[in-house]
Amino acid sequence: MRDTGCYSGHKRNILITLSILLLAMLLVLVMGGCGTDGAEESPQAAAEPVTLEYWTPFSGGDNIFMTELVQQFNREHGDIRIDQINSRLDDYYSRLRTAILSGNAPDLAIIHATNLPQFVQNGYIEPLDGLAADTGLDWGQFNAKIAESTVYGGAHYAVPLDTHTLVLYYNKKYLKEAGLLDAGDKPLIGKGEQGFTEFLQQLKAELPPGVAPLALPSTRIDSVWLWWSLYNQMQGGGVFYNPDGTQAVFNNKGSLQALEFVNSLYQQELIPPDINDAFKLFYDGEAAMLITGVWGTGAFEQDENLELGVVPVPVIYDHPAVWGDSHTLAIPAKSEMSAEKRNAAMVFARWAVEHGVMWAEAGHVPSSREVVESGAYAALKFRSDYANTANSVAYWPRNVKQWTINEEIIRQFEKMIYKEQSPEQALQNAVDSINLQLKK
Amino acid sequence: MKSFRGWFRNLALARKLILINVVFIVLPLGLMGYFAFARFTETTERKVGDYQLQTLKQLTLNIDTYMNELNRLTVMPYQYPKVTDYLATRRTSGEPLTLDEISGLNSFVTQVFLNGRVDILGVSLYGTGGASYVVMPESQYVTTYKLDENVSWLNKFKGHYGQPVYVATHDLSSSGGNVYQAFSIVRELRSFDDGVTLGYIVIDVDPKFISEILSKVKLDAKELLYITDDSGKLVIGKDHGLPQAAPSLSPDNASEGVSHVKSEGEGLLMAHITSEVTGWTTVGIVPVSSLMKDTEVLRTYIILIGIICVGLALLLYVFIAYRITQPLRKLSRLMRSVERGDLSRAFPVSGTDEVGMLGHSFNGMLAKLSELAYLLYETEIREKDAQIAALQSKINPHFLYNTLGSISMYAELEGSPEIITMSNNLSKLLRYSLSGRKEHVTLQDELDHVSGYMTIQQMRYEERIRFTMTIEPSLLGSEVIPLMIQPLVENAINHALDKGVGRGRISLTADSSSQVLRITIEDDGIGMNAEALEALRLHLRNTKELGGRSGNGLLNVHRRIVLHYGDEYGLSLESMPYQGFKAVLKLPVITHQGRAREDDGVA
Repeated sequence: MRDTGCYSGHKRNILITLSILLLAMLLVLVMGGCGTDGAEESPQAAAEPVTLEYWTPFSGGDNIFMTELVQQFNREHGDIRIDQINSRLDDYYSRLRTAILSGNAPDLAIIHATNLPQFVQNGYIEPLDGLAADTGLDWGQFNAKIAESTVYGGAHYAVPLDTHTLVLYYNKKYLKEAGLLDAGDKPLIGKGEQGFTEFLQQLKAELPPGVAPLALPSTRIDSVWLWWSLYNQMQGGGVFYNPDGTQAVFNNKGSLQALEFVNSLYQQELIPPDINDAFKLFYDGEAAMLITGVWGTGAFEQDENLELGVVPVPVIYDHPAVWGDSHTLAIPAKSEMSAEKRNAAMVFARWAVEHGVMWAEAGHVPSSREVVESGAYAALKFRSDYANTANSVAYWPRNVKQWTINEEIIRQFEKMIYKEQSPEQALQNAVDSINLQLKK
Repeated sequence: MKSFRGWFRNLALARKLILINVVFIVLPLGLMGYFAFARFTETTERKVGDYQLQTLKQLTLNIDTYMNELNRLTVMPYQYPKVTDYLATRRTSGEPLTLDEISGLNSFVTQVFLNGRVDILGVSLYGTGGASYVVMPESQYVTTYKLDENVSWLNKFKGHYGQPVYVATHDLSSSGGNVYQAFSIVRELRSFDDGVTLGYIVIDVDPKFISEILSKVKLDAKELLYITDDSGKLVIGKDHGLPQAAPSLSPDNASEGVSHVKSEGEGLLMAHITSEVTGWTTVGIVPVSSLMKDTEVLRTYIILIGIICVGLALLLYVFIAYRITQPLRKLSRLMRSVERGDLSRAFPVSGTDEVGMLGHSFNGMLAKLSELAYLLYETEIREKDAQIAALQSKINPHFLYNTLGSISMYAELEGSPEIITMSNNLSKLLRYSLSGRKEHVTLQDELDHVSGYMTIQQMRYEERIRFTMTIEPSLLGSEVIPLMIQPLVENAINHALDKGVGRGRISLTADSSSQVLRITIEDDGIGMNAEALEALRLHLRNTKELGGRSGNGLLNVHRRIVLHYGDEYGLSLESMPYQGFKAVLKLPVITHQGRAREDDGVA
């Protein structure tokens, strides 16, 4: 074929070397190919949002609004995910305390202004001024009274979301039938204890049997709230502790008068006995009036069968005053909490305050003055009827044990309502027991 | 088969080698690759199945641990006599509770909530006597609920003494409007004293925790992972979605297992395990194709590498096969050209392997062949020469014969016997010389010829030449080459007489020893000096071509003998200045047999 003898041994060696090289390259290629397979699962990590565990104690009708608020926030913030966990108010603080002590605290928690002292102590929640400055939260936007309720030792410890007070809900249908509404559909309630009692007695006379003139639970804190509101309406009332805070002193004349008035409503069965869920009773049209927090508004107004009316709690005594509290957002102290999470928590707090109208739909009075004055808030029915109560709020006094002290009062009042003791005894027993606790 | 064998036999050597290589390399390699891959695929699938099952087991174990924890909550009523007492009471729906009952039940429920995790949504207590205490999310306790007699879990307690029943995920509506997903644990509560059923406790739990456990498992991107209860109802799926293509399960067969199912034309690997605690079946489904993704990559690599390696090997082998057979093919080409008569090209030998040796032998053969050809060629030339020479003298031999005949006749008329003798001998000489060429004659013939020649010469030189002939009679029949002795005798006469003066003596002897016929022609003439003799010998030994001035007669005789009989025979010369010259012819003794004396009839 070709010319002969031209392949010398040398050339053959080159050929073999070349082939080996080729094979080696191939092998490297294959190894390389296999190697690249491993590194496939990385791009998702970057998009992982900051997840915040957020604990709430809403058990009125307001939780659904908070859920919507959170969902809306999550939709608008791809980089943050709020995970709301709601539990019963009855065990909420017990749970939160345990969580903080065991290092399992949530990243963000609702704490009532009343409860702040026990969490501010020992640094269980973080002061927020630095974070607020970082995220542009302006403390000046809040209602002064509310803002003040979050300040301890000159530092802000929580972002207030709202003020919630007691209000008087009424079913216009029943009141109209009884002829107890004025032209503006407001109830025609007379002055003083007597005026209120007569109003309820007239109402009771006109109501179909089984419908409660006024609904208030026989147990739990509601009666205590009403007592505290009325006690505070008195000139010089509302004193809970002695000036140095070492003794409870609410077993006085004014206090007893207010409590006896509350008790009389129960005893005359203007508030029927054995009411468990007054909220549901009113919702279902089995009560003409209901005294409870503003948080019911959102739920009640969704009930088409209910002709709802809301007014502030009537002034029975000298001046307007009503029990109130605030839901505030706090960051429980955790050693391992990252800066991103803190910032994200603050971003949520600010957003929630600015979107106070959404929260106001539940019934609460927004904490931000700007929101209260906004057109969107004004457009909401009923809320403007009681927005001013925020200015006559009677908070519980600041005490680290206030929550447990209140529970003691509840226990004594329940016994009173169940006719196991007189109002006098109830006050005395409560004071005695509280003083024992304070000594500890 | 036969035709294949024939075809194969006739295939070129290089192709044969390549074919064998293909059969013995590609075939086993291919088969090996195929079986290895098949085995690997099978093993991978089984391993993945096992892995999947193990994962599910682990998962189910985690869930079971959690469930046991929740289960502990359902036995709590036994530590709260107020609760069991309450459940044992007979009451109408909505009958108010005493303050004591409220606080007792409330503290119990609070304990359940606190002892449980955050994800407990509701606690319900139902007494057989109509008592109830139900706590749903976002609402106060309710005492008006009545146990629905048709609720699915109610009849499951039969035969499950003391065991809780786990209820698959269902909706739980709160009075606040939110709808929660919850699964439930239900326990039948009994009185220790009389053994009757007091009631039931139902704990509703957010499936979030299970969902988290599920979401931590990552079998594959296309996996389906879900839990169903014993009636096939979905408890929870990994992505909260009910798998559309969920193939009908066969969990009744075994509490755990891996199986293959086909769904919408796609092969699925399904592992399932049934928990002994909850009775729920955890199912993991992964498409086989996505499991085998890596395997397919591997297969592609195997095929690719296989093709490249085999291709490379084939290429190398083709090269080597052609390289090995190339000298053979060259040799065959050379042989063909030798066949055509071209002897001039040698085979280039590179190396001492078989092919090299073959080439070497071929070259040797070629050399021998060309030598032989030359010998043949020369022989023929010599024959031709002799013939031409004869032809030249043959010019009209009849005329010469006739003339000699006339001379002889006239001499007889004149009475001159010398002339008659001379002319007759001359005629004989001519006849012998010019007669048709015969390769071999007997020594007798040759001697007759010499005798005739000498008769004439003796008449010419009269008494000056004394010629003696001593011949072994047995040798007379030996075969010799014609006109072999006469030139030597002529040479001897020239040397012995013409250059000298006086008498000359020439003797011709023929003897034999060990099959060698020696014919010696000896004279006593002037001889030769050593140098001339040596030159003459060299001339005889080395010169093959005729030509030159002298010595052609001797050379011709010598070469003819050598050509006929070989190198060891021929003419040798001896001489000493003034002492004569001796020429010896050496021939093999071959008896001239059977060959009839050729007649001299040429005319």
